[in-house]
Amino acid sequence: MLSENAVKEIGLIRNKYHDAQSSLLPALYVVQKEHGWLSPEALKEVGEILNVPKAEVKGVSTFYAMFRHRPIGRHLIQLCTNVACMIMGSESLLNILKERYGLEPNGTTGDGRFSLVVMECIGACGTAPAMLVDTDFHDNLTEERIVNILEKYK
Amino acid sequence: MITVTINRKKIELEKPVTILKAAGMAGIEIPTLCNHEMLEAYGGCRLCLVEIEKMPRLQTSCTQYVTDGMVVWTETERVVEARKAMLEFLLINHALDCPYCDKAGECDLQDMVAKYGPTTGRFAEGKRRHPESFEDPIIVRNMERCISCTRCVRMCSKVQGAYAISMVNRSNKTFVEPFSGGKYDCEYCGNCLTVCPVGAIMSRMHRHAYRPWLIEKEVDTVCSFCGVGCSMVLQVRGNSIVRAVPKKGAGSNKGLLCNRGRFGYDYVGSSGRLDSPMIKRDGKFQRASWSEAFTFIADRLKKIKDENGGSSIAGIASGRCTNEDGYVFQKFMRAVLGSNNIDSVASFGYAQAQRFFEGIFGQGVTANSMRGIPNSDGVFVVGGDPTAVNPVLGLQIRAASGKGVPVVAAGYMPGLMIFATSRLIPRPFTETALLSALVTELRDIKGISGKGPFDILINDIPSVSLGEAEEVCGIPSEDMRSAVDALSRMTNPSIVIGRDILQQPEGQACLLLLAALISLLNSRIYLLSELPNEQGLVDMGCLPDMLPGGRHLSVESFRRRYEEFFGVDIPSNPGMGIMEMIEAAHDKRIKALHVMGEDLVYNMPDSAYVKAALSKLDFLVVHDIFMTETAQLADVVIPSLSWAEKEGSYTNLERKMQLVRKAVEGKGMEEWRAVSEISKLLGFDMDYKSSVDIMTEIANVSPLHKDIAYADMAGGECMWPYKGEPLRHGMSLEGIEMPDKGSLLKKPEKDRIYIGIDKPLFHFENLSRNSAALSSIAPEPYMNVGKALADSLSLAGGDSVSVSTGTGSLKLSVQVDPDVPENSIMVPDNFGDKGAYTIMKWKMNSAIKAPVADATGVTIKKIKRAAEEVAV
Ligand code: SF4
Ligand code: SF4
Ligand code: SF4
Ligand code: FES
Ligand code: FES
Repeated sequence: MLSENAVKEIGLIRNKYHDAQSSLLPALYVVQKEHGWLSPEALKEVGEILNVPKAEVKGVSTFYAMFRHRPIGRHLIQLCTNVACMIMGSESLLNILKERYGLEPNGTTGDGRFSLVVMECIGACGTAPAMLVDTDFHDNLTEERIVNILEKYK
Repeated sequence: MITVTINRKKIELEKPVTILKAAGMAGIEIPTLCNHEMLEAYGGCRLCLVEIEKMPRLQTSCTQYVTDGMVVWTETERVVEARKAMLEFLLINHALDCPYCDKAGECDLQDMVAKYGPTTGRFAEGKRRHPESFEDPIIVRNMERCISCTRCVRMCSKVQGAYAISMVNRSNKTFVEPFSGGKYDCEYCGNCLTVCPVGAIMSRMHRHAYRPWLIEKEVDTVCSFCGVGCSMVLQVRGNSIVRAVPKKGAGSNKGLLCNRGRFGYDYVGSSGRLDSPMIKRDGKFQRASWSEAFTFIADRLKKIKDENGGSSIAGIASGRCTNEDGYVFQKFMRAVLGSNNIDSVASFGYAQAQRFFEGIFGQGVTANSMRGIPNSDGVFVVGGDPTAVNPVLGLQIRAASGKGVPVVAAGYMPGLMIFATSRLIPRPFTETALLSALVTELRDIKGISGKGPFDILINDIPSVSLGEAEEVCGIPSEDMRSAVDALSRMTNPSIVIGRDILQQPEGQACLLLLAALISLLNSRIYLLSELPNEQGLVDMGCLPDMLPGGRHLSVESFRRRYEEFFGVDIPSNPGMGIMEMIEAAHDKRIKALHVMGEDLVYNMPDSAYVKAALSKLDFLVVHDIFMTETAQLADVVIPSLSWAEKEGSYTNLERKMQLVRKAVEGKGMEEWRAVSEISKLLGFDMDYKSSVDIMTEIANVSPLHKDIAYADMAGGECMWPYKGEPLRHGMSLEGIEMPDKGSLLKKPEKDRIYIGIDKPLFHFENLSRNSAALSSIAPEPYMNVGKALADSLSLAGGDSVSVSTGTGSLKLSVQVDPDVPENSIMVPDNFGDKGAYTIMKWKMNSAIKAPVADATGVTIKKIKRAAEEVAV
């Protein structure tokens, strides 16, 4: 079930667009922000609120890689392992995540705290290695720094 | 004028069309995969690439329009190479399991690759894997074969309007799925099957049971699951139907079918079919020979006629039978038995509505082409859900809505809700309030033009304000106001009317109000028709007061014509209607009943009463294809032929006459043939060799069907008024009672639950129980209930309830649908002893001479919660 707030927010979004289809992507973001992922029930609910057929909601949401269709941890770590970051040591950062949190790429920690996705270049080659935690950006990572940063996310 | 040159051929065009179309006109073939004549162009597969001079890149000919002076090449080296590459791309993710695939032999991809493509691919990275999906009872999905052309999705969304499937994921991981990922839970029209170019979506019904090249016979016929009469082809192997498919571009359906037409044919081959005449002796049925059975019937009928007169015998015809069956049957009743007691369930609504409107506007007012609906500038729907009763007609309304035509939906019609611009759902039986308010408003806006007799009547209709109507029917005034605004702007709208409008105490007032609307809006009328030949029953005179050709029995000159033709006198008094017959049987006023293909027990309200009435008859004959509950009560049962086993004609709701053709051999006998055999034994010679002879006779005697022949129908365009002489003068306003304001504004009783008949998309009368396919989609009876009532009874979807009336009770599962009218439940009448009619009583509405099911006195008790059901 979506929270009352989410339903309200989706309603506001709907009013910004001429047709329901256009409001679908921003509405899905609202849900993902709240639940961390898009469950089938949530897709159905969004469809009902916007009056967009649920199959279409599913089609659209599965088209975009930013939408997640499986539950993830409370915080999503998106760590870059592309060339610049690799040279600057992203490999050892991956090891730290594994040792310290038991976190593997595409995995989630047992306590549901973190999920990890390995990224291609996220545009921070100059200050590599870099990662995103949820929507926060962190660069110039070192083994020590990454642990300190992650400790702030509970 | 546009001149375009394709492969050196000059083509002149009035209007710009796509290169693909222009090439087609010039007989130049361009291969396509994602393009389909029933769908809008998509430009996805890129197989139709062509080279256009002065354009650097190859273009998709299915989307590119021609311009004047354009020079196009469709077979250059570049094009051929590109085409090959496209096919190679498609094969990257295609299973290539042709030897095992049912589509092989009629697969577009297979044909294309054989003709244009490389035989091997170079892609070595492996294909996507998808196990075949068998979650669904009748459709099987194999997404390893899908080429992502999106034809199915476009069909399902844009044409069918079901929006059940979509393309999921992206790029090489794309495939098609319904929302659930498993079962479709859709409208099961199967139109996605028609357009899928490969074997990715297929019917399970003939899975691995045939190969296209093993089809022995293809028979052009029409569907017999509703009054639309869609053109279809039955494909036959051995003596069984392997598949029913639409005929490209033919009929009013133009390639579309609904679930019933496409999948419901399997009842024809059902093991439960009757295969021999049966005579009941000492309460037990015994097999008998044809001649034994006919002699038995003739002797009994003769005795009853001699002792009690012809009027003690009655006949009930069926809208499943052909015109020929109907004609011969009414002739038998009138000329041989001397009785005008002939009627059918068409008199529950269709026949009444038609006669009412014809009386006012002249014969043939309901003869309108379905294809006109999307071309009208507005649609008003009332009295039933067209998308369930007449599914393919329903699609025309959805198509209208898709074109931006306003659709005003008055009443409960789930299949149109998302397509309607105005949704007006009155409380039970308060349509009069809604309609009279609409008439009042529109009368003011449009003004009454002429001084014709009907205009005067319209003027006399009591004025009802929106506020007064709101009070009674519960629809907010502003909703009615916006509907009035929409209606007042329409200049040539379509009005679609279902039989529910008559199934209420103020049925006649509803008809009058609708006639006023029709006149005020200058609209075309479409009557929903549940049975394939309901119109044929009317036209053939299977009515107590009408002769074939829509001629009134009471008019002496008409009667004379038939008397001279038949060579005997016809009683001049109208006979009994269907409900009167049942009552008369109950009171022993009629002694014998001859039933031609109708399961009266379940297709009429109050099954127990009907059963009791039939049991009191001295003699009951039933022709049917199954041992129905009604046949069980008979003294003699004559096995009939199903629609796929005989020749004849149907007249659809557009009043188009169409041919029904024999595809397979059956073990029964055509009703007309059986009836003429009996007739001969009664000393009246009916010497028909085939249905052609009967149609010839009809063409001779019925002024409406003058000179008509099967050849006229074979082309599929045998439209009203044929070559006949319809009675155009009409305007008989006699007997129309002007309702008073009080009766228009009757409120439903407080705290009373009403029961309404739901017409499910997946069933047809009580016949479809014999179709394993249709039963697998919708196996269980249910009860639809609105949110408020559900809450007040603390019911949730999936709960089991017991619904009782004074007459009986039913165990049903709950479906909550917010659109169900206040304080009412909707229950289907299709599940035999679990159907709504088994617990409903009826009353005779004498004004319209139609029975009205008594919708009151319902109590609902919860038996089981949905969750408990799961736990069990
Ligand atoms: S069967 Fe009809 S409703 Fe179902 S997915 Fe196919 S096109 Fe859509
Ligand atoms: S299932 Fe068939 S029609 Fe649908 S996208 Fe795939 S290949 Fe095309
Ligand atoms: S719309 Fe009617 S005639 Fe057409 S396929 Fe469906 S049931 Fe048959
Ligand atoms: S390579 Fe990691 S940010 Fe560019
Ligand atoms: S047919 Fe033109 S792109 Fe598919």
